[in-house]
Amino acid sequence: MQTQSDTALAITGLTKRYDAVTVLDALELSITRGAIHGLVGLNGSGKTTTIECLLGLQGFQAGTVTVLGHEPTQLYRTQGRVVAIFDTPSLHPGLTVRQNLELARLLCDKPVRSPAHVEKLLGIERYSRFRVSQLSLGNKRRASIAQALLGNPELIILDEPFNGLDAGGVDDVLQLIQHLNRDAGTSFFLCSHQLPYLEQVCTHIAILHKGRIATSGTITDLLGGASSLALVRTEQIDAARALIDAHPGLQARPLDANGYLPVDLGDVSSSELNALLVSNRIGVAELQMQRASLTGLFREINGGGDNV
Amino acid sequence: MSSLLVALRAEAFLVVRGFGGKLVVLAPAGVALLQFLFTQLTTSGQTARQSLLGNNDFDAVAATNAYGYFVDGIKTGLTILTLLLVAQAAYSFSSERDLGTLRHLLIRRASRSNVVLSKLLLLHLQALIAVLLLLLATGWLAGVFWEYGAVVEDGYELISVPEIHAEIRSGISLALLPMPAAIAFGVLVSVSAQSVTQAVTTALGITLTLDIFKSMLGDWGHYLYASFQPSLLDQSYLQDVSRLVRGYSDVLIDERFYQLNLWVPLPTLLLFVVASLIIVRLRQV
Repeated sequence: MQTQSDTALAITGLTKRYDAVTVLDALELSITRGAIHGLVGLNGSGKTTTIECLLGLQGFQAGTVTVLGHEPTQLYRTQGRVVAIFDTPSLHPGLTVRQNLELARLLCDKPVRSPAHVEKLLGIERYSRFRVSQLSLGNKRRASIAQALLGNPELIILDEPFNGLDAGGVDDVLQLIQHLNRDAGTSFFLCSHQLPYLEQVCTHIAILHKGRIATSGTITDLLGGASSLALVRTEQIDAARALIDAHPGLQARPLDANGYLPVDLGDVSSSELNALLVSNRIGVAELQMQRASLTGLFREINGGGDNV
Repeated sequence: MSSLLVALRAEAFLVVRGFGGKLVVLAPAGVALLQFLFTQLTTSGQTARQSLLGNNDFDAVAATNAYGYFVDGIKTGLTILTLLLVAQAAYSFSSERDLGTLRHLLIRRASRSNVVLSKLLLLHLQALIAVLLLLLATGWLAGVFWEYGAVVEDGYELISVPEIHAEIRSGISLALLPMPAAIAFGVLVSVSAQSVTQAVTTALGITLTLDIFKSMLGDWGHYLYASFQPSLLDQSYLQDVSRLVRGYSDVLIDERFYQLNLWVPLPTLLLFVVASLIIVRLRQV
Protein backbone atom coordinates (compact mmCIF):
# COMPACT_ATOMS: atom_id res chain seq x y z
CA MET A 1 0.00 0.00 0.00
CA GLN A 2 1.26 3.46 -0.89
CA THR A 3 1.62 5.93 1.96
CA GLN A 4 1.52 9.69 1.71
CA SER A 5 5.27 9.88 2.18
CA ASP A 6 5.73 7.65 -0.89
CA THR A 7 3.62 9.96 -3.00
CA ALA A 8 5.18 12.96 -4.69
CA LEU A 9 1.98 14.13 -6.29
CA ALA A 10 -1.63 13.06 -5.85
CA ILE A 11 -4.56 14.29 -7.91
CA THR A 12 -8.06 13.13 -6.98
CA GLY A 13 -11.21 14.05 -8.89
CA LEU A 14 -9.65 17.15 -10.42
CA THR A 15 -12.27 18.97 -12.46
CA LYS A 16 -11.56 22.12 -14.39
CA ARG A 17 -14.09 23.91 -16.56
CA TYR A 18 -13.77 26.97 -18.72
CA ASP A 19 -17.36 28.17 -18.92
CA ALA A 20 -19.25 25.27 -20.52
CA VAL A 21 -16.13 23.38 -21.62
CA THR A 22 -14.88 20.71 -19.25
CA VAL A 23 -11.15 20.39 -19.74
CA LEU A 24 -10.38 18.06 -16.85
CA ASP A 25 -13.11 15.66 -15.83
CA ALA A 26 -12.51 14.15 -12.38
CA LEU A 27 -8.87 13.47 -13.21
CA GLU A 28 -7.09 10.90 -11.04
CA LEU A 29 -3.32 10.60 -10.99
CA SER A 30 -0.71 9.63 -8.48
CA ILE A 31 3.04 9.86 -8.83
CA THR A 32 5.34 7.90 -6.58
CA ARG A 33 8.52 9.42 -5.26
CA GLY A 34 11.50 8.55 -7.39
CA ALA A 35 9.43 8.00 -10.54
CA ILE A 36 9.83 9.72 -13.88
CA HIS A 37 6.21 10.10 -14.82
CA GLY A 38 5.15 11.26 -18.26
CA LEU A 39 1.78 12.71 -19.19
CA VAL A 40 0.78 12.63 -22.85
CA GLY A 41 -2.30 13.81 -24.63
CA LEU A 42 -3.53 15.46 -27.79
CA ASN A 43 -3.33 19.23 -28.27
CA GLY A 44 -5.84 20.87 -25.97
CA SER A 45 -6.31 17.71 -23.93
CA GLY A 46 -5.50 19.60 -20.73
CA LYS A 47 -1.87 18.76 -20.02
CA THR A 48 -0.80 22.34 -19.33
CA THR A 49 -4.03 23.00 -17.44
CA THR A 50 -3.23 20.00 -15.24
CA ILE A 51 0.22 21.40 -14.52
CA GLU A 52 -1.11 24.88 -13.79
CA CYS A 53 -3.76 23.50 -11.46
CA LEU A 54 -1.32 21.39 -9.51
CA LEU A 55 1.10 24.32 -9.22
CA GLY A 56 -1.66 26.59 -7.90
CA LEU A 57 -1.39 28.94 -10.87
CA GLN A 58 -5.07 28.56 -11.62
CA GLY A 59 -8.02 27.39 -9.60
CA PHE A 60 -10.28 24.42 -10.29
CA GLN A 61 -13.91 23.58 -9.62
CA ALA A 62 -13.56 20.25 -7.83
CA GLY A 63 -11.05 17.73 -6.58
CA THR A 64 -8.00 17.71 -4.40
CA VAL A 65 -4.36 18.05 -5.32
CA THR A 66 -1.36 17.61 -3.07
CA VAL A 67 2.21 18.13 -4.10
CA LEU A 68 4.74 16.78 -1.59
CA GLY A 69 1.91 16.93 0.92
CA HIS A 70 1.07 20.59 0.22
CA GLU A 71 -1.95 22.17 -1.41
CA PRO A 72 -1.23 23.89 -4.73
CA THR A 73 -1.59 27.44 -3.37
CA GLN A 74 0.78 26.63 -0.51
CA LEU A 75 3.60 25.27 -2.66
CA TYR A 76 5.91 28.09 -1.61
CA ARG A 77 5.96 26.40 1.80
CA THR A 78 7.96 23.53 0.27
CA GLN A 79 10.88 26.02 0.21
CA GLY A 80 11.92 25.18 -3.30
CA ARG A 81 11.55 21.40 -3.07
CA VAL A 82 9.21 21.66 -6.07
CA VAL A 83 10.37 23.44 -9.21
CA ALA A 84 8.76 23.76 -12.60
CA ILE A 85 10.03 24.38 -16.11
CA PHE A 86 7.38 25.70 -18.43
CA ASP A 87 6.77 25.39 -22.15
CA THR A 88 7.95 28.97 -22.67
CA PRO A 89 11.28 29.97 -21.09
CA SER A 90 10.36 32.09 -18.08
CA LEU A 91 13.35 34.41 -17.86
CA HIS A 92 13.93 38.14 -17.53
CA PRO A 93 14.97 39.20 -21.05
CA GLY A 94 16.82 42.31 -19.87
CA LEU A 95 19.07 40.39 -17.49
CA THR A 96 22.02 38.24 -18.48
CA VAL A 97 21.94 34.46 -18.20
CA ARG A 98 24.13 34.65 -15.08
CA GLN A 99 21.89 37.31 -13.50
CA ASN A 100 18.81 35.18 -14.15
CA LEU A 101 20.55 32.26 -12.47
CA GLU A 102 21.63 34.41 -9.52
CA LEU A 103 18.03 35.52 -9.12
CA ALA A 104 16.86 31.90 -9.22
CA ARG A 105 19.52 31.08 -6.62
CA LEU A 106 17.94 33.62 -4.28
CA LEU A 107 14.79 31.51 -4.45
CA CYS A 108 16.59 28.34 -3.40
CA ASP A 109 16.41 27.48 0.26
CA LYS A 110 19.64 25.48 0.12
CA PRO A 111 21.44 25.94 -3.20
CA VAL A 112 23.63 22.97 -4.00
CA ARG A 113 25.04 24.12 -7.32
CA SER A 114 26.52 27.43 -8.38
CA PRO A 115 25.27 29.34 -11.45
CA ALA A 116 28.61 28.57 -13.13
CA HIS A 117 28.14 24.85 -12.46
CA VAL A 118 24.63 24.66 -13.95
CA GLU A 119 25.71 26.75 -16.94
CA LYS A 120 28.37 24.14 -17.60
CA LEU A 121 25.91 21.29 -17.09
CA LEU A 122 23.61 22.75 -19.74
CA GLY A 123 26.42 23.85 -22.05
CA ILE A 124 25.60 27.56 -21.89
CA GLU A 125 28.70 28.81 -20.08
CA ARG A 126 29.82 30.89 -23.06
CA TYR A 127 26.50 32.74 -23.05
CA SER A 128 26.81 33.63 -19.36
CA ARG A 129 27.17 37.37 -19.99
CA PHE A 130 24.63 37.48 -22.82
CA ARG A 131 21.27 39.07 -22.17
CA VAL A 132 18.50 36.49 -22.40
CA SER A 133 16.90 38.53 -25.20
CA GLN A 134 20.00 37.80 -27.31
CA LEU A 135 19.75 34.01 -26.97
CA SER A 136 18.21 31.49 -29.36
CA LEU A 137 15.09 29.63 -28.23
CA GLY A 138 17.13 26.50 -27.55
CA ASN A 139 19.58 28.32 -25.31
CA LYS A 140 16.76 30.12 -23.52
CA ARG A 141 15.31 26.67 -22.87
CA ARG A 142 18.67 25.47 -21.52
CA ALA A 143 18.94 28.53 -19.26
CA SER A 144 15.41 27.88 -18.07
CA ILE A 145 16.27 24.29 -17.19
CA ALA A 146 19.51 25.45 -15.53
CA GLN A 147 17.43 27.55 -13.11
CA ALA A 148 15.77 24.42 -11.81
CA LEU A 149 19.06 22.70 -11.03
CA LEU A 150 20.52 25.25 -8.62
CA GLY A 151 18.82 23.72 -5.62
CA ASN A 152 18.10 20.15 -4.73
CA PRO A 153 14.44 19.78 -5.71
CA GLU A 154 12.55 16.63 -4.82
CA LEU A 155 10.08 17.06 -7.65
CA ILE A 156 10.67 18.70 -11.01
CA ILE A 157 7.67 19.41 -13.20
CA LEU A 158 8.41 19.98 -16.87
CA ASP A 159 5.97 21.16 -19.51
CA GLU A 160 7.18 20.35 -23.04
CA PRO A 161 10.85 20.32 -21.97
CA PHE A 162 12.16 19.32 -25.40
CA ASN A 163 10.58 22.18 -27.37
CA GLY A 164 13.17 24.21 -29.21
CA LEU A 165 16.08 21.91 -28.34
CA ASP A 166 18.36 20.40 -30.97
CA ALA A 167 19.23 16.70 -30.88
CA GLY A 168 22.26 17.33 -28.66
CA GLY A 169 20.18 19.42 -26.29
CA VAL A 170 17.53 16.70 -26.04
CA ASP A 171 20.21 14.12 -25.24
CA ASP A 172 21.68 16.39 -22.56
CA VAL A 173 18.27 16.90 -20.96
CA LEU A 174 17.41 13.21 -21.09
CA GLN A 175 20.75 12.35 -19.48
CA LEU A 176 20.26 15.02 -16.82
CA ILE A 177 16.82 13.70 -15.96
CA GLN A 178 18.13 10.15 -15.65
CA HIS A 179 21.19 11.28 -13.69
CA LEU A 180 19.18 13.36 -11.18
CA ASN A 181 16.62 10.59 -10.81
CA ARG A 182 19.24 7.93 -10.24
CA ASP A 183 21.71 9.85 -8.08
CA ALA A 184 19.54 12.31 -6.16
CA GLY A 185 16.24 10.43 -6.22
CA THR A 186 14.50 13.39 -7.85
CA SER A 187 10.97 12.68 -9.05
CA PHE A 188 9.89 14.04 -12.42
CA PHE A 189 6.53 14.84 -13.96
CA LEU A 190 6.87 15.52 -17.67
CA CYS A 191 4.27 16.63 -20.17
CA SER A 192 5.36 16.33 -23.76
CA HIS A 193 4.32 15.59 -27.31
CA GLN A 194 7.68 13.97 -27.96
CA LEU A 195 6.55 10.42 -27.27
CA PRO A 196 9.82 8.66 -28.27
CA TYR A 197 11.74 10.82 -25.77
CA LEU A 198 9.23 10.08 -23.03
CA GLU A 199 9.43 6.39 -23.83
CA GLN A 200 13.20 6.63 -23.52
CA VAL A 201 13.28 8.33 -20.13
CA CYS A 202 10.01 7.69 -18.26
CA THR A 203 9.38 4.93 -15.78
CA HIS A 204 5.63 5.63 -15.80
CA ILE A 205 3.24 7.07 -18.36
CA ALA A 206 -0.31 8.38 -18.18
CA ILE A 207 -2.35 9.10 -21.27
CA LEU A 208 -4.81 11.96 -20.99
CA HIS A 209 -7.87 11.59 -23.18
CA LYS A 210 -11.03 13.69 -23.03
CA GLY A 211 -10.13 15.14 -19.65
CA ARG A 212 -9.48 11.80 -18.00
CA ILE A 213 -6.56 9.45 -17.63
CA ALA A 214 -7.28 6.81 -20.26
CA THR A 215 -4.49 4.56 -19.08
CA SER A 216 -1.50 4.79 -16.81
CA GLY A 217 1.20 2.55 -15.44
CA THR A 218 4.79 1.61 -15.91
CA ILE A 219 6.16 1.74 -19.43
CA THR A 220 6.80 -2.02 -19.32
CA ASP A 221 3.23 -2.83 -18.26
CA LEU A 222 1.65 -0.44 -20.75
CA LEU A 223 3.65 -1.55 -23.74
CA GLY A 224 3.39 -5.18 -22.71
CA GLY A 225 -0.39 -4.75 -22.73
CA ALA A 226 -0.44 -3.10 -26.12
CA SER A 227 -1.43 -5.51 -28.87
CA SER A 228 1.40 -6.77 -31.10
CA LEU A 229 1.08 -6.13 -34.78
CA ALA A 230 2.49 -8.16 -37.66
CA LEU A 231 2.75 -6.83 -41.20
CA VAL A 232 2.25 -9.48 -43.89
CA ARG A 233 3.03 -9.08 -47.60
CA THR A 234 1.35 -11.68 -49.81
CA GLU A 235 -0.13 -12.02 -53.32
CA GLN A 236 -3.26 -13.73 -51.92
CA ILE A 237 -4.65 -10.91 -49.81
CA ASP A 238 -8.30 -12.04 -49.77
CA ALA A 239 -7.49 -15.65 -48.93
CA ALA A 240 -5.07 -14.57 -46.22
CA ARG A 241 -7.62 -12.19 -44.70
CA ALA A 242 -10.35 -14.87 -44.65
CA LEU A 243 -8.01 -17.37 -43.04
CA ILE A 244 -6.73 -14.92 -40.42
CA ASP A 245 -10.20 -13.67 -39.46
CA ALA A 246 -11.40 -17.26 -39.10
CA HIS A 247 -8.58 -18.05 -36.66
CA PRO A 248 -9.35 -17.33 -32.96
CA GLY A 249 -7.18 -14.52 -31.52
CA LEU A 250 -6.13 -13.11 -34.88
CA GLN A 251 -7.62 -10.14 -36.65
CA ALA A 252 -6.71 -8.57 -39.96
CA ARG A 253 -6.89 -4.81 -40.44
CA PRO A 254 -7.36 -2.94 -43.74
CA LEU A 255 -4.33 -2.89 -46.05
CA ASP A 256 -1.90 -0.11 -45.21
CA ALA A 257 -0.55 2.40 -47.69
CA ASN A 258 2.50 0.23 -48.44
CA GLY A 259 0.44 -2.83 -49.37
CA TYR A 260 1.04 -4.68 -46.10
CA LEU A 261 -1.76 -6.53 -44.37
CA PRO A 262 -1.59 -5.55 -40.66
CA VAL A 263 -2.58 -8.37 -38.34
CA ASP A 264 -3.33 -8.04 -34.62
CA LEU A 265 -1.62 -11.05 -33.11
CA GLY A 266 -3.22 -11.20 -29.70
CA ASP A 267 -1.65 -14.22 -28.00
CA VAL A 268 -0.51 -15.80 -31.24
CA SER A 269 3.18 -15.60 -32.10
CA SER A 270 4.50 -14.44 -35.47
CA SER A 271 5.89 -17.92 -36.24
CA GLU A 272 2.45 -19.46 -35.61
CA LEU A 273 0.91 -16.92 -38.01
CA ASN A 274 3.54 -17.77 -40.62
CA ALA A 275 2.91 -21.52 -40.16
CA LEU A 276 -0.84 -21.01 -40.45
CA LEU A 277 -0.52 -19.14 -43.75
CA VAL A 278 2.05 -21.50 -45.31
CA SER A 279 0.19 -24.65 -44.25
CA ASN A 280 -2.86 -23.27 -46.08
CA ARG A 281 -0.78 -22.72 -49.25
CA ILE A 282 -0.65 -18.95 -48.94
CA GLY A 283 2.71 -17.66 -50.08
CA VAL A 284 4.24 -15.21 -47.59
CA ALA A 285 6.59 -12.81 -49.36
CA GLU A 286 7.43 -10.90 -46.17
CA LEU A 287 6.42 -10.91 -42.51
CA GLN A 288 7.66 -8.27 -40.11
CA MET A 289 6.81 -7.43 -36.52
CA GLN A 290 5.88 -3.94 -35.50
CA ARG A 291 7.23 -3.31 -32.02
CA ALA A 292 4.72 -1.97 -29.49
CA SER A 293 5.54 1.69 -28.87
CA LEU A 294 4.16 4.55 -26.89
CA THR A 295 3.21 6.22 -30.14
CA GLY A 296 1.26 3.14 -31.18
CA LEU A 297 -0.46 2.90 -27.82
CA PHE A 298 -1.26 6.60 -27.90
CA ARG A 299 -2.78 6.32 -31.39
CA GLU A 300 -4.75 3.29 -30.29
CA ILE A 301 -6.26 5.13 -27.34
CA ASN A 302 -6.98 8.27 -29.32
CA GLY A 303 -8.61 6.29 -32.10
CA GLY A 304 -5.85 6.98 -34.62
CA GLY A 305 -5.56 10.64 -33.62
CA ASP A 306 -3.08 12.35 -35.85
CA ASN A 307 -1.93 15.10 -33.52
CA VAL A 308 0.92 13.11 -32.07
CA MET B 1 13.79 32.88 5.55
CA SER B 2 10.26 34.22 5.46
CA SER B 3 8.23 34.32 2.29
CA LEU B 4 8.07 38.14 2.38
CA LEU B 5 11.82 38.48 2.84
CA VAL B 6 12.50 36.20 -0.14
CA ALA B 7 10.05 38.17 -2.27
CA LEU B 8 11.69 41.43 -1.16
CA ARG B 9 15.17 40.15 -2.02
CA ALA B 10 14.04 38.98 -5.45
CA GLU B 11 12.29 42.28 -6.11
CA ALA B 12 15.31 44.29 -4.94
CA PHE B 13 17.53 42.22 -7.25
CA LEU B 14 15.36 43.21 -10.21
CA VAL B 15 14.99 46.87 -9.22
CA VAL B 16 18.75 47.34 -8.83
CA ARG B 17 19.50 45.74 -12.21
CA GLY B 18 16.47 46.92 -14.16
CA PHE B 19 16.08 50.12 -16.17
CA GLY B 20 12.75 51.09 -14.58
CA GLY B 21 14.13 51.29 -11.06
CA LYS B 22 16.98 53.57 -12.13
CA LEU B 23 14.61 55.77 -14.12
CA VAL B 24 12.26 56.23 -11.15
CA VAL B 25 15.12 57.21 -8.84
CA LEU B 26 17.10 59.47 -11.19
CA ALA B 27 14.62 61.03 -13.62
CA PRO B 28 12.75 63.37 -11.19
CA ALA B 29 15.97 65.02 -10.01
CA GLY B 30 17.29 65.09 -13.58
CA VAL B 31 14.19 66.80 -14.96
CA ALA B 32 14.16 69.32 -12.08
CA LEU B 33 17.80 70.18 -12.75
CA LEU B 34 17.07 70.64 -16.45
CA GLN B 35 14.24 72.97 -15.52
CA PHE B 36 16.68 75.01 -13.42
CA LEU B 37 19.10 75.31 -16.30
CA PHE B 38 16.44 76.58 -18.70
CA THR B 39 15.00 78.93 -16.04
CA GLN B 40 18.45 80.32 -15.25
CA LEU B 41 19.07 80.97 -18.93
CA THR B 42 15.79 82.81 -19.43
CA THR B 43 15.83 84.76 -16.12
CA SER B 44 19.42 85.85 -16.68
CA GLY B 45 18.38 87.33 -19.96
CA GLN B 46 15.33 89.04 -18.47
CA THR B 47 17.30 90.42 -15.49
CA ALA B 48 19.93 91.85 -17.78
CA ARG B 49 17.24 93.51 -19.87
CA GLN B 50 15.48 94.96 -16.80
CA SER B 51 18.80 96.34 -15.46
CA LEU B 52 19.54 98.03 -18.76
CA LEU B 53 16.09 99.60 -18.74
CA GLY B 54 16.61 100.77 -15.13
CA ASN B 55 13.60 98.87 -13.77
CA ASN B 56 13.92 97.30 -10.32
CA ASP B 57 10.48 96.17 -9.22
CA PHE B 58 9.28 93.69 -6.60
CA ASP B 59 9.00 90.81 -9.04
CA ALA B 60 12.63 91.25 -9.99
CA VAL B 61 13.67 91.06 -6.33
CA ALA B 62 11.53 88.00 -5.72
CA ALA B 63 12.94 86.38 -8.84
CA THR B 64 16.41 86.26 -7.28
CA ASN B 65 15.27 84.21 -4.25
CA ALA B 66 16.30 80.58 -4.55
CA TYR B 67 13.40 79.27 -2.47
CA GLY B 68 10.87 79.87 -5.24
CA TYR B 69 12.94 77.96 -7.76
CA PHE B 70 13.62 75.24 -5.22
CA VAL B 71 9.88 74.71 -4.69
CA ASP B 72 9.27 74.77 -8.47
CA GLY B 73 11.94 72.12 -8.92
CA ILE B 74 10.41 69.95 -6.22
CA LYS B 75 6.97 70.36 -7.80
CA THR B 76 8.23 69.32 -11.23
CA GLY B 77 10.22 66.43 -9.78
CA LEU B 78 7.27 65.13 -7.77
CA THR B 79 4.98 65.38 -10.79
CA ILE B 80 7.39 63.30 -12.86
CA LEU B 81 7.99 60.93 -9.94
CA THR B 82 4.27 60.29 -9.43
CA LEU B 83 3.73 59.46 -13.10
CA LEU B 84 6.81 57.23 -13.21
CA LEU B 85 5.79 55.43 -10.02
CA VAL B 86 2.29 54.76 -11.33
CA ALA B 87 3.76 53.39 -14.57
CA GLN B 88 6.40 51.34 -12.74
CA ALA B 89 3.82 49.97 -10.31
CA ALA B 90 1.53 49.01 -13.18
CA TYR B 91 4.45 47.34 -14.96
CA SER B 92 5.82 45.52 -11.92
CA PHE B 93 3.37 42.66 -11.45
CA SER B 94 1.90 42.43 -14.95
CA SER B 95 5.29 42.22 -16.67
CA GLU B 96 6.38 39.34 -14.45
CA ARG B 97 3.12 37.56 -15.13
CA ASP B 98 3.53 38.06 -18.90
CA LEU B 99 7.11 36.80 -18.80
CA GLY B 100 6.15 33.83 -16.65
CA THR B 101 8.84 34.64 -14.08
CA LEU B 102 6.20 35.25 -11.42
CA ARG B 103 5.35 31.55 -11.50
CA HIS B 104 8.81 30.57 -10.27
CA LEU B 105 8.57 32.92 -7.32
CA LEU B 106 5.11 31.66 -6.38
CA ILE B 107 5.99 27.99 -6.71
CA ARG B 108 9.31 28.13 -4.91
CA ARG B 109 9.27 30.61 -2.09
CA ALA B 110 6.65 33.36 -1.90
CA SER B 111 2.90 33.64 -1.46
CA ARG B 112 0.89 35.82 -3.83
CA SER B 113 0.15 38.35 -1.08
CA ASN B 114 3.81 38.66 -0.20
CA VAL B 115 4.77 39.20 -3.83
CA VAL B 116 2.33 42.12 -3.99
CA LEU B 117 3.50 43.50 -0.64
CA SER B 118 7.14 43.22 -1.68
CA LYS B 119 6.45 45.18 -4.84
CA LEU B 120 4.60 47.86 -2.85
CA LEU B 121 7.42 48.15 -0.33
CA LEU B 122 10.15 48.34 -2.97
CA LEU B 123 8.21 50.98 -4.92
CA HIS B 124 7.96 53.03 -1.72
CA LEU B 125 11.67 52.61 -1.14
CA GLN B 126 12.37 53.81 -4.68
CA ALA B 127 10.06 56.77 -4.08
CA LEU B 128 11.86 57.63 -0.85
CA ILE B 129 15.29 57.53 -2.50
CA ALA B 130 14.00 59.53 -5.46
CA VAL B 131 12.54 62.22 -3.15
CA LEU B 132 15.74 62.48 -1.11
CA LEU B 133 17.81 62.77 -4.28
CA LEU B 134 15.38 65.34 -5.65
CA LEU B 135 15.59 67.44 -2.46
CA LEU B 136 19.37 67.30 -2.38
CA ALA B 137 19.86 68.03 -6.08
CA THR B 138 17.33 70.86 -6.31
CA GLY B 139 18.42 72.35 -2.97
CA TRP B 140 22.02 72.39 -4.10
CA LEU B 141 21.52 73.71 -7.65
CA ALA B 142 18.97 76.37 -6.62
CA GLY B 143 21.64 77.65 -4.18
CA VAL B 144 24.24 77.69 -6.95
CA PHE B 145 22.08 79.69 -9.38
CA TRP B 146 20.20 81.95 -6.94
CA GLU B 147 20.43 83.05 -3.31
CA TYR B 148 18.46 81.66 -0.40
CA GLY B 149 17.06 84.27 1.92
CA ALA B 150 14.01 85.89 3.51
CA VAL B 151 11.48 87.65 1.31
CA VAL B 152 12.32 91.34 1.72
CA GLU B 153 10.55 94.34 0.19
CA ASP B 154 11.81 97.90 0.65
CA GLY B 155 14.02 96.75 3.53
CA TYR B 156 11.07 95.15 5.32
CA GLU B 157 11.13 91.37 5.88
CA LEU B 158 7.83 90.02 4.61
CA ILE B 159 8.53 86.34 5.29
CA SER B 160 11.40 85.11 7.42
CA VAL B 161 13.59 82.12 6.52
CA PRO B 162 12.16 79.93 9.34
CA GLU B 163 8.64 80.73 8.08
CA ILE B 164 9.65 79.81 4.55
CA HIS B 165 11.18 76.55 5.78
CA ALA B 166 8.02 75.71 7.72
CA GLU B 167 5.80 76.32 4.68
CA ILE B 168 8.07 74.30 2.38
CA ARG B 169 8.11 71.41 4.87
CA SER B 170 4.34 71.57 5.10
CA GLY B 171 3.91 71.78 1.30
CA ILE B 172 6.24 68.83 0.63
CA SER B 173 4.66 66.70 3.37
CA LEU B 174 1.15 67.33 2.06
CA ALA B 175 2.31 66.64 -1.51
CA LEU B 176 3.93 63.35 -0.49
CA LEU B 177 0.92 62.02 1.42
CA PRO B 178 -1.04 60.90 -1.69
CA MET B 179 2.01 59.19 -3.24
CA PRO B 180 1.50 55.78 -1.52
CA ALA B 181 -2.10 55.77 -2.78
CA ALA B 182 -0.86 56.50 -6.33
CA ILE B 183 1.62 53.61 -6.06
CA ALA B 184 -1.05 51.26 -4.70
CA PHE B 185 -3.36 52.31 -7.54
CA GLY B 186 -0.68 51.29 -10.06
CA VAL B 187 -0.25 47.92 -8.34
CA LEU B 188 -4.03 47.39 -8.25
CA VAL B 189 -4.23 47.97 -12.01
CA SER B 190 -1.20 45.71 -12.48
CA VAL B 191 -2.75 42.72 -10.72
CA SER B 192 -6.11 43.27 -12.44
CA ALA B 193 -4.95 43.81 -16.04
CA GLN B 194 -4.70 41.10 -18.68
CA SER B 195 -1.33 42.23 -20.01
CA VAL B 196 1.51 44.60 -19.23
CA THR B 197 0.50 46.98 -22.03
CA GLN B 198 -3.05 47.14 -20.74
CA ALA B 199 -1.81 47.72 -17.18
CA VAL B 200 0.54 50.60 -17.99
CA THR B 201 -1.80 52.38 -20.40
CA THR B 202 -4.77 52.00 -18.07
CA ALA B 203 -2.92 53.22 -14.97
CA LEU B 204 -1.40 56.23 -16.72
CA GLY B 205 -4.62 56.92 -18.61
CA ILE B 206 -6.73 56.99 -15.45
CA THR B 207 -4.14 59.08 -13.57
CA LEU B 208 -4.07 61.71 -16.34
CA THR B 209 -7.87 61.63 -16.65
CA LEU B 210 -8.23 62.27 -12.91
CA ASP B 211 -5.81 65.16 -13.33
CA ILE B 212 -7.99 66.72 -16.00
CA PHE B 213 -11.32 66.18 -14.29
CA LYS B 214 -10.43 66.86 -10.64
CA SER B 215 -10.98 70.60 -11.00
CA MET B 216 -14.41 70.02 -12.59
CA LEU B 217 -15.58 68.02 -9.60
CA GLY B 218 -15.52 71.08 -7.34
CA ASP B 219 -15.51 70.21 -3.64
CA TRP B 220 -16.06 66.55 -4.44
CA GLY B 221 -12.63 66.54 -6.04
CA HIS B 222 -11.11 66.89 -2.58
CA TYR B 223 -12.24 63.36 -1.78
CA LEU B 224 -9.90 62.18 -4.51
CA TYR B 225 -6.33 61.41 -3.48
CA ALA B 226 -5.12 62.72 -6.85
CA SER B 227 -6.26 66.26 -6.02
CA PHE B 228 -3.44 66.64 -3.51
CA GLN B 229 -0.51 65.37 -5.52
CA PRO B 230 1.65 67.63 -7.68
CA SER B 231 0.54 67.10 -11.27
CA LEU B 232 0.38 68.67 -14.69
CA LEU B 233 -2.72 70.63 -13.66
CA ASP B 234 -1.50 71.24 -10.16
CA GLN B 235 -3.90 71.95 -7.29
CA SER B 236 -1.63 70.79 -4.48
CA TYR B 237 -0.59 73.03 -1.63
CA LEU B 238 2.95 72.99 -3.02
CA GLN B 239 1.64 75.16 -5.83
CA ASP B 240 0.61 77.78 -3.24
CA VAL B 241 3.92 77.44 -1.36
CA SER B 242 5.70 78.30 -4.60
CA ARG B 243 3.85 81.65 -4.62
CA LEU B 244 4.20 82.19 -0.87
CA VAL B 245 7.99 81.95 -0.89
CA ARG B 246 8.00 84.52 -3.69
CA GLY B 247 6.32 86.99 -1.36
CA TYR B 248 2.67 86.65 -2.34
CA SER B 249 1.07 87.13 1.07
CA ASP B 250 -2.48 86.25 -0.04
CA VAL B 251 -1.68 82.52 0.20
CA LEU B 252 -3.56 80.78 2.95
CA ILE B 253 -4.33 77.10 3.04
CA ASP B 254 -8.01 76.31 3.40
CA GLU B 255 -8.53 74.35 6.63
CA ARG B 256 -10.96 71.89 5.02
CA PHE B 257 -8.55 71.30 2.12
CA TYR B 258 -5.75 70.77 4.64
CA GLN B 259 -7.77 68.24 6.65
CA LEU B 260 -8.88 66.32 3.55
CA ASN B 261 -5.29 66.33 2.27
CA LEU B 262 -4.30 64.73 5.57
CA TRP B 263 -7.05 62.12 5.74
CA VAL B 264 -8.18 61.14 2.22
CA PRO B 265 -4.99 59.43 0.95
CA LEU B 266 -4.71 56.91 3.81
CA PRO B 267 -8.09 55.12 3.44
CA THR B 268 -7.62 55.25 -0.33
CA LEU B 269 -4.26 53.53 0.08
CA LEU B 270 -5.77 50.85 2.32
CA LEU B 271 -8.63 50.31 -0.12
CA PHE B 272 -6.25 49.84 -3.06
CA VAL B 273 -3.94 47.51 -1.12
CA VAL B 274 -6.78 45.32 0.17
CA ALA B 275 -8.34 45.17 -3.31
CA SER B 276 -4.97 44.20 -4.81
CA LEU B 277 -4.48 41.42 -2.25
CA ILE B 278 -7.96 40.02 -2.88
CA ILE B 279 -7.66 40.14 -6.67
CA VAL B 280 -4.21 38.56 -6.72
CA ARG B 281 -5.48 35.60 -4.70
CA LEU B 282 -8.38 35.00 -7.06
CA ARG B 283 -6.92 35.39 -10.49
CA GLN B 284 -5.00 33.06 -12.76
CA VAL B 285 -1.27 33.72 -12.89
